[in-house]
Parts: sequence; C-alpha cells; structure tokens
Amino acid sequence: MTDFELLDAGHGALEGLHSATSKLVPAPVENFYKNYYVRVFAQAILTIWAVLTVTFFLVRQMPGNPIDVLIEQILTQEGISYQEAYDRVAASFNFDPDATMFDQYVDYVGDLLRLDLGTSITSPGTKILDEIARFLPWTIFAVGSGFLISFVLGIVLGMMMAYYRDSVLDHTLSLVSSFFTGVPNYIWGLLIIIGPGISWKWFDVGAARGTYDPGLTPGLNAAFIGSAIEHALLPIITYVLATLGSWMLSMKSSTTGVLNDDYVNVAEARGLKDRRIITAYVGRNAMLPLFAQLSISIGFVLGSGVVIEEIFVYWGFGHYLFQAITVRDYTSVQGAVLILSSTFVFSNLFADLTYGLLDPRVRISGEK
Amino acid sequence: MLKRTLYLLLLLALSLLAFAPLQAQGDTLNVAWPYQVPPTGHFNTFASGGIALGQYQDLHEPPLAVLMWATGDYAGMVAEEFGWDDDGNYVIKMVEGNSWSDGSAMTADDLMATFNIFRLRGDTVWANMSGIEKVDDSTVKFVMDSPSSLAERIILTTNLRPASVFGDIADRAAMMMSGDDGWDALLQELTEFRPETPVSGGPYTILPDTISEANLMMELNPGGFAGDIQHYDMVRMWNGETEVVTPLVANAELHYITHGIPPTTEEDFANRGIDIVRSGMNNGPGLYVNHAVYPLNLVEVRQAIAYAVDRIQNGVVSLGESGVAVEYMTGMSDGLSEAWLSDETLDSLNYYEHDLMKAEELLTGIGFSRNDDGTWVDDNGDTLSFELTFPQEFADWSAAAENATAQLNDFGFDISARGVQFQQHPQDIYASNFEMAIRNWGLGDPIPGRSYLQAYNRYNGQGDLAGEGGGAGMNFDNNVDYSGGMVNVFDLSNQSSQGVDKSAQAGLVTQLAISYNELLPAIPLWERYTNNALNRNFIMVPDSGDSIFANFGGGADNWMTTLILTGVTAPADM
Repeated sequence: MTDFELLDAGHGALEGLHSATSKLVPAPVENFYKNYYVRVFAQAILTIWAVLTVTFFLVRQMPGNPIDVLIEQILTQEGISYQEAYDRVAASFNFDPDATMFDQYVDYVGDLLRLDLGTSITSPGTKILDEIARFLPWTIFAVGSGFLISFVLGIVLGMMMAYYRDSVLDHTLSLVSSFFTGVPNYIWGLLIIIGPGISWKWFDVGAARGTYDPGLTPGLNAAFIGSAIEHALLPIITYVLATLGSWMLSMKSSTTGVLNDDYVNVAEARGLKDRRIITAYVGRNAMLPLFAQLSISIGFVLGSGVVIEEIFVYWGFGHYLFQAITVRDYTSVQGAVLILSSTFVFSNLFADLTYGLLDPRVRISGEK
Repeated sequence: MLKRTLYLLLLLALSLLAFAPLQAQGDTLNVAWPYQVPPTGHFNTFASGGIALGQYQDLHEPPLAVLMWATGDYAGMVAEEFGWDDDGNYVIKMVEGNSWSDGSAMTADDLMATFNIFRLRGDTVWANMSGIEKVDDSTVKFVMDSPSSLAERIILTTNLRPASVFGDIADRAAMMMSGDDGWDALLQELTEFRPETPVSGGPYTILPDTISEANLMMELNPGGFAGDIQHYDMVRMWNGETEVVTPLVANAELHYITHGIPPTTEEDFANRGIDIVRSGMNNGPGLYVNHAVYPLNLVEVRQAIAYAVDRIQNGVVSLGESGVAVEYMTGMSDGLSEAWLSDETLDSLNYYEHDLMKAEELLTGIGFSRNDDGTWVDDNGDTLSFELTFPQEFADWSAAAENATAQLNDFGFDISARGVQFQQHPQDIYASNFEMAIRNWGLGDPIPGRSYLQAYNRYNGQGDLAGEGGGAGMNFDNNVDYSGGMVNVFDLSNQSSQGVDKSAQAGLVTQLAISYNELLPAIPLWERYTNNALNRNFIMVPDSGDSIFANFGGGADNWMTTLILTGVTAPADM
C-alpha cells in the first residue's frame, strides 16, 4: 500500500466515523454547533476554562504559600522568632494550607459559575472584584492611551517612510525606529526618571507618582481628570517610545508592498489625487496586516504594564498581578488571570470576526 | 503631516514640565515604608493587609515602652510605670491625659482590648499568661504563669490599639475560650473587620483621603501620646521598596529610609551629602551545613571551614561597610556577646581568625589528605565536594555565597554554588534538601537566647510549621557534649529567656555561647549593619556617635521613631 492509499483509507475511516457520530447527535444541536459564531465562542470559553484550570494548579505549585511569604517578611523586618511569626500570620489569613487542592478547585469553580471571584487571601474579606475594579481602569487608561498614540503615530510615520523611501527622512526614521524597538520599556522608564527627572529636574519625581493627586475626589470633575492625565503622562510616553518603532517598521514594510501593486499604478495613471490614493488605496490595504497585529496586541495591553507601573509607582492591573504573585495570593492571581486570558481570547475572537468586514477578499472566500 | 507629528512630540516633551516644582517641604517629615492601598490595604492593623507602616506604627499606635539598647533599660512611653509585683505578675500603669484621634480617652480599656485580641489570635505572649486584669482606669495587671524577660519584652513593645474600635470584638473574645463554639467565627470576624477610618493614639494620624500608591500623609494628633512635643505638622510616608524609594532619596524628596541599599547606592548617596547610619542588627548570613552529610557532621571540618574563610573579606565583598565580620563566633552578635559574657569568657573563646594553616592541621588531624591537584579527600577517599545553595534574589547573600565558595575552593574544597528562588530556599532547608547553604544566624532581638532559635529550632526540625513537609532541617543533634558537659542547647535557649534573674540568664547564655563556639553547628560569616540613608540637610537628629543609634533601624525600638516619640527629631532649619 502506498502512502496515498494509506491516506485515502484514513480519510475514508474518518468520514465513516463522522457519519456514525452525526447520527447520534440531534440535528438541531449539530446545526447549532455548525454555526461559526457559536463554535468560536464555545472555543473561546473552553480556552479560558483551560487557562484558569492550569493557572489554579500552577500557582499552588510555586514555592511557598501565602503564610510562608509573610512569615519570611516579618522575620526579616521585625526580628521576632519563627514561632511568633507563624502564630501571628496563621491566625490572620483567609487560607487553610491543609485543604486539599481538589476541594479548593471545586469551591473555586462553583464560585466562578456564580460570577463570584472570591476574596483575597492576604487581605481577608476584601473582594477580588473590588480590587480589580480599583486597579484595572488605570492600566486601561494609561497603557491603552499609549497603545493608541503609538499605533496612530506608527501608521503615519511608517507610511511616510514608505512614500519617501531612500530619502534622508526614511533613513533617519528607520534608524530611530530600529533604536526605539531595541530598547525595552523598563529602560525607557528608568532613563526618563534618571535623566529628565533627577539629573535635569524637568519634573518632580515624587509628585509624578501615583494615579492622581492625593485629596482629589475621583469623578467627572476637571481637577481629577487633569490630575489623572498628568500622572499618566510618563507611563504613556514610556509605552509610546517602547512600541512606536515596531509599528513604524511594520507599516513601512506593509506600505512598501502595497505601493508596488498594480491598482496603485492604475490609480496614479487615472490621475487621482495623492490624498485619495494614500487614504483609499494605499493606507487601507497596507493597514490590513496591522489590524490583525493590533487585535492581538490589545490582548497584551493589560499584561504589558507590569514593569512600567512598578517604575512609575503607577499602580494598575500589572502591579496588582505582580503583587498577588509575590505574596502568593492565589485567589487574586486567579482573578487577574481570568481578566487577562479573557481579554486576550476575546480580542483574538474580535479580530477573527471583524477581519472579513475590512477585507472583502476574506469575506468572499469564506462565502465560497 | 511631518510638522503635525513634530508638534505632537514637542507637546509630549513639554508636558513633562507640567509637573509642579518640588513640593513644599515645610514642617513635613519625609520617611518611607511599603504599604498596600485600599481596598487591599485597610485600617485593621490586627489583620493581614492592615496599613500598620512597620516601625512607624509607633507614630499612630504607640508602644508601651522602648528598650534603650545601649543600657539595656526600658524607657516608658505609654507605660509610665511598669514592672513585676511580688506575686510574679506584670503591672503597667499608663500615662494619663492622652486621647485617641476619635476623641476617646486612652485608658486601661485599650490595653485590655489589645491583649484580648492577641488572645483571640493566639499570640505567643499568652503562652506565659493566664489572664489580664484591669486594676483601675490606667492600670492593668498581667497575670503570669511565671515571670519571664521574654514576656516582659513582648508586653512592653506592644503597639496599643483603641478600645473604641476593637473593644466589641475584644470583649466577646474575653468571654470565650479557645475551641468554644463561635471562637473561629469571631476570629474570622476580626480578620475581616474593616474600620472606616484610622484611629490614632500616637503623635500623628493617617489621613485616609491622602492614601495613594505614591505616599500617604499623617497629620499631627495633638491629643495623642507625645503629640504636644512634636516639631513637625505632618509626616509624609512614601510607599515602596528599595528600588522605588532610591530615586526619591537621591532627589532630596525623601530624607530617611531604613531600606537596605547596595554599596554602589551608598556611594552615590554619600556623594550627594547624605549620611549613612549604621547600627548592628544582631543577625546576618551564616554558612549552614547538613549534619547528615558526611563529613560535614565532623566538628573538625566545620572548624576548618571557619578558619579557611576570611570573614572580613566576605563581609566587605557582600555589603561594604555594613557587612561586619563576626569576631567572637558565639552564635549571637558581638554586641550581645560583649553585653552578656564576662571578659574571662570572651578571652577563652576561639575567634577562628583567618588561618589556612590551622584549617590544614585540623583536616590532616582527622586523616584527610590532598589529591595531586590539591583537592581535599576525606578518610574514605572521597573528595570534599559539596553544593552550596543560596537565595538568588538576595544580592548580599549571593555575594557571600560566591565569595565563600571561591575561598573554600582555593583552599582545596570542591564546592559548587547554586542560586535557588528565595521562597523555595528556606523550604529546601526545612526539608533537609541541601548540603551547604547560606541562611541567617541570630535575631534582631536583645534577648540573647533567642539568637539561637535560628540554628537550633527554625532550621533544625521546624519544617512542619512551614507547611512543606516536616523535614529535619540541618539534622543537628541539640543534645551536645562540649567542654562544659552534656546539655540540650534548644532547651537552654528557651530557659535563658525565662525568669527575671539576669545573672542566672547570663550563666545559661554563657553555656550556649561556649558550646556554640566549640561546635559551630553553623558558621556565622558577618553581621549585617543597617545602612539607613539620612539626609541631615532636612532632619536634625543627634550626631552619629550618640548611644541611641544602638537601637537598630528596623522593628521595635527603632531609633528614629524613638527620637520622634521623645520630641527630639526636628527639621534641620529649626
């Protein structure tokens, strides 16, 4: 039997199996699952559940537990005996180190089905949802703003590089973007603090910390909004500097490819205005590959702020996750990972569902 | 388009200038301690996550007394008079006339509430106590099973909490016994209790509206303890660990930190005119061995290691001037050794000064020899080859491990150093999963017997309490035979903290010191000294030679909080 015959036989067997199982599944259920939107949504939920389950068991495999971590801290800071530290910590935690992992998992899944993320282990009684509501908006605001600014600037500058390729402008921007891409965000953060902050005293390092000035009442008032924007500037600038280069280079590459396409040459031959060619012909098509990249990047937004938030003491979701891992607050880690994985999975799902709207070729090939 | 982009970039750059110039310092004391912001952080300092502020808890929940380490005497704070009565009970009379920031008077009820909550939590102090009685509005009697220096210290260094906040839970705890129905529920109620506002009995009170991840403000609480002798209107508590607060110190926005800083940062601070204050912390890294691993169980091998490692070099390499080589090798700090041991005893000790010849003699004396390549082999012909583990995130301990490894290998050992994640490392020791390791000796505590709890208890069979298995730790037999006879060193450690007869305690401490010096169950390398950064351009405190600096800068008895509570700390331009 040749390889092709083997493949044929395998394929035949699979078809037979599919036919047999189809008879077992009621037609409405099968039709329901055949629906593309239902299927990808179900896959997304399954992915999130898998991530949460793996996370649940993995965090408990990390060295130490919440009690150990605080004991070590107290021993170091307060110079008391191990026994005293243990007595004090064990009584003040919402955590039973003797409960089996399976029991903890069943409780966790049960609570999750009731949309209850539980309470913090290291701050007993504090709801995980309250903590996430405290930290998440700041990351969405700062990192999200930086992300958008970086994307828009990168698109514009990348197109300019492609249009004026081999010019001084192109070479200069290529050099700058390569440099920006090569420097990690934490280095940018440190450079901003040490250079403009400490050495040149362009701004007050201490006053720039935090998410808004103390004493203000959060809400839709000018003082608070102004303060929030002011405090977010340094993280935003850092994030823009760290990501701008890659958007510029991607857009340049994509635009350069589009500029050589026939329809652009035809548009020029038809005497269309440059502005129309740039926006309707080149820009839209060059952005398509970046759209997928953009959607995936949105999933990384929440997780990418950890170091920046620590450097600028701008406590958002990244700090929350970092702190939860450091003190082994299992329930907080689980809550944070739920948000992270959901964001990532649903942003990808969003990309899948909307790509066809932007690119008719995909839509048409899907219909065929 | 290019112009617009450049304008945008320029706008972003100029926005950096938008931040206000340096905040007015005025009469504000700028210090630092890490805390969590609400809702994770809260105002129940009995529960995990409470914004207690470490040593600065003294400023809002004042201590009963502070030990002056140079003299060994307690200085009363909230406790005006204190001591043992004829029945062996401890009696405290509180200063009258102070009030909490919620307006309630500071009375014996606060002390009762505080210790009844301790009972509910199962704190160690109740191991020596059978009850607590209110004598009058300002006096409380602690009914003791037996007098003990340890119990006295725990009582006196307690931070007082307000009965107006915790009294209800405390009163219910007082009516119950551990194990009663409702006991666990009450404990849970305590840990989940969230006072709406902080209530201070010290000179400063936390302003809840000012709490941010950057800092929080504490304002003067005139009616609180020592509130009438303060020179500052406000205290700004900066939040964060070393890497976060370092730029603030460099920028002269933060004027005093107790955070441990690396030698390079010290140098930078010194160049900026910032003083580095050093006080002995009574502990430091030591070289622990697993006594179940041959030949590390042989005292001659451990003594040879002590001779072969230059501890002065090891300390300087690891922590600069704050890594001070241990001299007496008694298992407690040199300061405690000098305070508790007679001159005769000190003279009789083996100091294990760096001496490769003596190390060589010790090993050859037990039948060990060198290979052709100079490596030591034991009497079974096995190379003295071991793994030395250390917590890789601790920069100073890592340096100590690598330097000790290099020195021992130069001497002919075959040691490989391996870093272990810092939370896993103690678990490995508890579980006896090591050959040699860098862990801490001693304790930041003035009671000498407690220094030995690391070697004889924590790292020697206490693994079950760590929840990771219950290993035998370093496998050292606490029943030792030394020149003074047979003793159980763990029992001696505990006994030396009991009773109030200091000369009797000193006798037990002497046995502990001599036996440790002879047997070296673990080899102390150097004592960690603080390297507190103090900017004297902003803060006025006594000169560095003052005896107050014997009160090391962490935990109870901190010199800075003591100076604040006594009204000494003041703005430099005052």
